[in-house]
Amino acid sequence: MKLYFKSFILLLLAGALTILSGCNNDDPEPENIPELITKASLTFTPAGGGSAVTVTATDPDGDGVQDIKVDGPINLAKGKQYTLVLKLINGLFKPGDDGYDVTVEVEEEGDEHQFFFSFSEGVFSSPAGMGNIKNNVSSITGSINYLDEDVNGLPIGISTSWTTADAATTAKSFRVILKHQPGIKSSTSSSLDGESDLDITFVLNVTD
Amino acid sequence: MFIRDHNIGKVTDHDGNYLFSDMCEGIYSFEIKFLGYETQVIEIDLKKSESVETILKTEDRLLTEVVVLDHRDPVGKASNYGVLSGKSLEELRGKSLGESLQNITGVNTIQSGPAIFKPVIHGVHSQRILILNNGIRQEGQQWGAEHAPEIDPFIATSLVVIKDAGAIKYGTDALGGVIIVTPSELPLEQQIGGQFHLVGSTNGKSGIASGMLEGGIANHRGWGWRIQGTAKKSGDMHTPDYNLSNTGFQELNYSASTGYHKEGKGFEVFYSHFNTTIGILRGSVVGSTEDLAIAMEQEPPQNTKPFTYQINQPRQEVKHDLIKLTGHVRKGDNLFNIQYGLQINNRKEFDLRRGTLNEVPALGYKLFTHTLDAEWEKTRERHTRSLGVNGMAQDNNKIDGTQTLPFIPNFNNYTAGLFWIEKLSRSNWDWEMGIRYDLRFYNIVGFDFRNQLYRSELNYHNVSATFAGTLKINPASSFTSSLGSAWRPPNVAELFSLGTHQSAAAIEYGLLLDEVTNEVRSPDEVNFSAEQALKWVNTYRIQKGKWIGEISGYVNYIFNYIYLKPRGVTQNTRGIFPYFRYTQTDASFIGADVSVAYSVSNQLKLDSKISLLRAKDETNDDYLIFIPSSRYEVSMRYDFASGQTWTNPFIEARLKYISKQNRAPREVPVRDIIEAKEQGVDLFENDNRNFDFVDSPDGYFLASISLGISKPIHNSKFDFRLSVDNLSNTAYREYSNRMRYYADDIGRNVTLAIKFSF
Repeated sequence: MKLYFKSFILLLLAGALTILSGCNNDDPEPENIPELITKASLTFTPAGGGSAVTVTATDPDGDGVQDIKVDGPINLAKGKQYTLVLKLINGLFKPGDDGYDVTVEVEEEGDEHQFFFSFSEGVFSSPAGMGNIKNNVSSITGSINYLDEDVNGLPIGISTSWTTADAATTAKSFRVILKHQPGIKSSTSSSLDGESDLDITFVLNVTD
Repeated sequence: MFIRDHNIGKVTDHDGNYLFSDMCEGIYSFEIKFLGYETQVIEIDLKKSESVETILKTEDRLLTEVVVLDHRDPVGKASNYGVLSGKSLEELRGKSLGESLQNITGVNTIQSGPAIFKPVIHGVHSQRILILNNGIRQEGQQWGAEHAPEIDPFIATSLVVIKDAGAIKYGTDALGGVIIVTPSELPLEQQIGGQFHLVGSTNGKSGIASGMLEGGIANHRGWGWRIQGTAKKSGDMHTPDYNLSNTGFQELNYSASTGYHKEGKGFEVFYSHFNTTIGILRGSVVGSTEDLAIAMEQEPPQNTKPFTYQINQPRQEVKHDLIKLTGHVRKGDNLFNIQYGLQINNRKEFDLRRGTLNEVPALGYKLFTHTLDAEWEKTRERHTRSLGVNGMAQDNNKIDGTQTLPFIPNFNNYTAGLFWIEKLSRSNWDWEMGIRYDLRFYNIVGFDFRNQLYRSELNYHNVSATFAGTLKINPASSFTSSLGSAWRPPNVAELFSLGTHQSAAAIEYGLLLDEVTNEVRSPDEVNFSAEQALKWVNTYRIQKGKWIGEISGYVNYIFNYIYLKPRGVTQNTRGIFPYFRYTQTDASFIGADVSVAYSVSNQLKLDSKISLLRAKDETNDDYLIFIPSSRYEVSMRYDFASGQTWTNPFIEARLKYISKQNRAPREVPVRDIIEAKEQGVDLFENDNRNFDFVDSPDGYFLASISLGISKPIHNSKFDFRLSVDNLSNTAYREYSNRMRYYADDIGRNVTLAIKFSF
């Protein structure tokens, strides 16, 4: 039995040596962060020509303490039709790299994503109302003129159509939410379903 | 064996043989006694040599609960502790470690849904308590409030909770106490023995199978072995009114050990594997504060679906392996112990993510821990001295490919400690004094918010001490008082964490992150210190006639207590988020544990338990969050007389009252935070008091009942137990369960357990 014991002590010493050699100082590999959206831009292009209106929201530090910088306001001319195209950027990638343009991914996975919009009443003649973002106080059931659809024929919202009202107004709001709805998105799902990937509010003016 | 009227006695040999020689003719009355068997009297009219063979009948006697404790280790005579073993532990088989420990007064849990229980001792938890699994300090990712200990409680034959601070032998961090999970000694007998458990429950439609086999090795006396395994599967749990989608779990654990024990020396090898997959309530998934408000407003929770065994995202997958080698040698008064442990902890957390990322963990870490402990103990009559060293080396690495910013950095941690303990026994007093010194070194490499690499190094060292005594007032009562100090360096999560963690719409920043720029600062530039606790516990025990009572009062004052303090509200592209910084304050935990049992008769026993706790942030005159409220429990047990074929039938009824936590931080509803921020007001910028999104839930009563009976068959035995928890199917929410924001707690649960032992 003495032999057992000696070999056992040796095993313990071997364990102790492993402790001393367990150090690993190699630099870890940085991760790609594909889910981060550092910049969102909204481009309103008027039908029949004219210069497009672009506004952006930029996040300087991701999960850091600094607030996003929202520029604007969105200045649209009254009584005019616009096509809105959304673009989402992940600034941790270089332009041109896969992952830089998050909108591409949203489009590819259109069957589990949808953009929702809300706005001050009366700023648009089409869609009328206040948009399709629901909140807990009232169940808004407005519609949006979606110009795209996913594989199931349900709207995505990267591209939408808007017609401004005939009267000028100032300091109104325009909010856009992107919802991730894996296994949830359906003809009846709403802005209350799924998780928010994007939620930004801009100031909107309708000018003469 | 006694021969009555002649005062002759003999003890049989191992095989039960006996011999009385040189007897005279005549009538003798033999009395045969053996512990645990009925005494038999045989009359023999002796004329010539005669062989008398008898088979003893087992004696059924109801014993009041007997707790057999090895008082040298792990619990000193001068300790304040609670124990679960024997019958009281058997009746908890099938519950998780944390859930089982709740049956010790003063021990609660922090829960994250129905399957994740983290033990809380006197109001403190996570990295502030130490768990010794089979003698080895359990090392996982303890920093997370939803990271439960990776231990299969079926391994244990006793669970001991030392409620003193700085149970000095075991190292740093034990500010609240120590939980000791101990399996039974390896068998020395050659015959094979074992146990099989089958447990089924209605809530979650869960099933558990656990088995253990043990024995000696033929022709190698002193060698013993044991193999053990547990499999669990549960589907979605449900409240009285709705299904809790994605709250199922699976577990597969096994262990094997072998060892050699002989007088004066012994060694043992132990291996265990723990593997669990735990679902997290689907309705608790939120991407922003707006989502959180929506999630909290809905009942049943959003995305509630019919019952399933399937576990989707979000979920945790955790594996924990332990290899342990121990040896001891005794030379006269001296005992030398040495043990080495290797733990590999692998944790992956899956969230709902875009497309193919859904199958990639959002958080993943692999932690290697080596521990080496050596101790010399010298025991003389009335005096024991022990000296020892502990060493630990850890290597924590992120699992590559998560495609998220790592929440905590990679690190190496080297810790070394020395301790010296003196124990003295006098006629009325037992004394224990201990002192220890620890050194810790961290080498850190991580990624900041810009995904840029940073490095950091930290050093800590400190001294802690305990002083405890027990006064035996009289044979029926004793008084124990212990004063202990303990310390704990901030762990990497408290120093460096960055971002949001599973199912919490809040951003967390470590102590070393700059308040303005968010850069990781050098430890020299930031003013912070290690946590330092001073805990005083006093216990009075009395056992008189039909009464058994224990009352214990404690004060735990923690200097530089590290907690998450609300500091502001930030907006990113996903919406508005409150953010918290790890901050230090002085906190106090004052409370009392009371248990009183009264035996009305040999059959009927009444029991009551009370645990009271008041925790406070002393510096800011504020309350701390997630502190368990006071709880009260009464139970009544009736043990029926055993029959010929069925034995030990019992019925037990239990009623618990858990009070509302009135000492909770103020309530600040999510919508208020959002609305204020939209108006340009940051509610926490100038008011850093702790807050909670919702008020603490109301108090509630829970009733349970259990019935049991045993059936011995030859050398084996079946035990049957039927229990019903939450008998009245009450809908309630528990303050210390993080699921309370989204859903009620689980409803009625009927459990049938069968144990077969041989």
